[in-house]
Amino acid sequence: MSIRFEKVTKSFGRRTILNGISFEVHPGEIFFIIGKSGMGKSVTLKHIISLLKPDSGQIWVDQSDVTRLSPEELIEVRGKCGIVFQHPALLDSLNLFENIAFGLRTPQYRKKRGKHLSESEIHQIVIENLGRVYLDEEILDRHPSQISFGMQKRASIARTLAPNPDYLLFDEPTTSLDPITTNAITDLIYELSRGRKRVTSIVVSHDMSSALRIADRILMLDEGKILEISTPTQIRNSKNLLVQEFLAEALIQEGSNTSS
Amino acid sequence: MRQIGGIWGRFFEISTRTLSQSLRGLWRWDGIAKSIVQTGIESLPIVTISTAFTGLVVTNEIAWHLDLALHNVSMIPGLAGQFILRELGVVIPALLVVSNVGAATTAELGSMKVTEQIDALQLLGVDPVNFLVVPRFIAGIGSMLCLTVIAIFVTLICALAVGVFSYHFGWLEYLTAIQHFISIKDIICAMIKALVFGAVIPLISCTFGFECGGGAEGVGTATTNSVVTATLAVISLDFLLTYLSTLLL
Repeated sequence: MSIRFEKVTKSFGRRTILNGISFEVHPGEIFFIIGKSGMGKSVTLKHIISLLKPDSGQIWVDQSDVTRLSPEELIEVRGKCGIVFQHPALLDSLNLFENIAFGLRTPQYRKKRGKHLSESEIHQIVIENLGRVYLDEEILDRHPSQISFGMQKRASIARTLAPNPDYLLFDEPTTSLDPITTNAITDLIYELSRGRKRVTSIVVSHDMSSALRIADRILMLDEGKILEISTPTQIRNSKNLLVQEFLAEALIQEGSNTSS
Repeated sequence: MRQIGGIWGRFFEISTRTLSQSLRGLWRWDGIAKSIVQTGIESLPIVTISTAFTGLVVTNEIAWHLDLALHNVSMIPGLAGQFILRELGVVIPALLVVSNVGAATTAELGSMKVTEQIDALQLLGVDPVNFLVVPRFIAGIGSMLCLTVIAIFVTLICALAVGVFSYHFGWLEYLTAIQHFISIKDIICAMIKALVFGAVIPLISCTFGFECGGGAEGVGTATTNSVVTATLAVISLDFLLTYLSTLLL
């Protein structure tokens, strides 16, 4: 159960976002991708579930090269993955209960489980996952537009967790969240990877302090290339200037969190 | 130029998939019902009012010119009836649906695209074309047929009112005169046009929504482009279908 990039290149127009990058994420690993804005972090994530296709290179999820899969095979691979997008991406036309339950009612989930879930089972899973992101049951009948952005973001995490995926992809999961909820979500990502199922997590983030706290490895992207792939300890001792810059910011942030 | 090519390529891809899924009966009834309310029922007031006034104005103009040029108004029912049935009663509702429903559809899908809701659907194993386009396509055809029938009826009533109250036709006399000019071919032609417009408008609106990018500004641009394209499509298809109907029917 691993994810592997092999010499992946992706350009938008004349701008090369990913320039022949290769790396592997191991089973059960918490893998952070960091870097400045516009350096291809989200693009990397979207390649894993084939929402974007590379110009060249291969992307392996388990034993499948997602760049070559048929639409039907792709649905199966996507069924193993859950993604928390940068935007909450909740469906405006559905209330929060229906949004979180959405993935439990799809044919691919039915196929994965091998049975049709009853409404009471769906309700139970929804409530359970709502609790994991610290949301109350009261908001379940509200629509996304009726709750704050931070609550929408947490609800979107609950929706991603509900189908119990093997791989979790987080695109800036803690943006717009308060420091307490940010820490709670970071802890949740940690627990999911260290729990019984050992979910493999890839987290795109600017939050260096969370990365240093829970990541097994951190990949730093710059100008379409991999600047560094290291453990948090190695990152702390890195001589690279850009890495040091990120680290300094994280330390300032940590300091302000502690003082507050 | 490449961008235009890209959007038309996507239009044909979405159209083919929508048509194939519609024919296979992959219908989402709750989505269809919602789209019928949006396309048909919510458009009804504006279509009724607009076509009523259009009927009054056009019949008055036809009558005034016939009177001025020929000093004979006996052809008012026939000319007005044919013009309403073949053009006005079909094209006016279609253009109103473009500006009313088409714009809303592009804006809705465009904002779903930029806020990654469409990506989320794909990841959850739901085909966005089946979930978002097919219900609008089915509802678009059904609603457009109904709106066209209503629009023709309202416009003919208004034309009849002008004939009776301004040019002293008898009710029965006017209706009998219409019968001499209008045939079943005109009705078939009107229904074919309504069907084509009802299918094409949601397909164009959805395509521009799916291809939207660049945040709020992108949604605005996509909506404008969608309305312009759909308007031009309605006008050019009207010409094409009218031409074909004169050849074939």
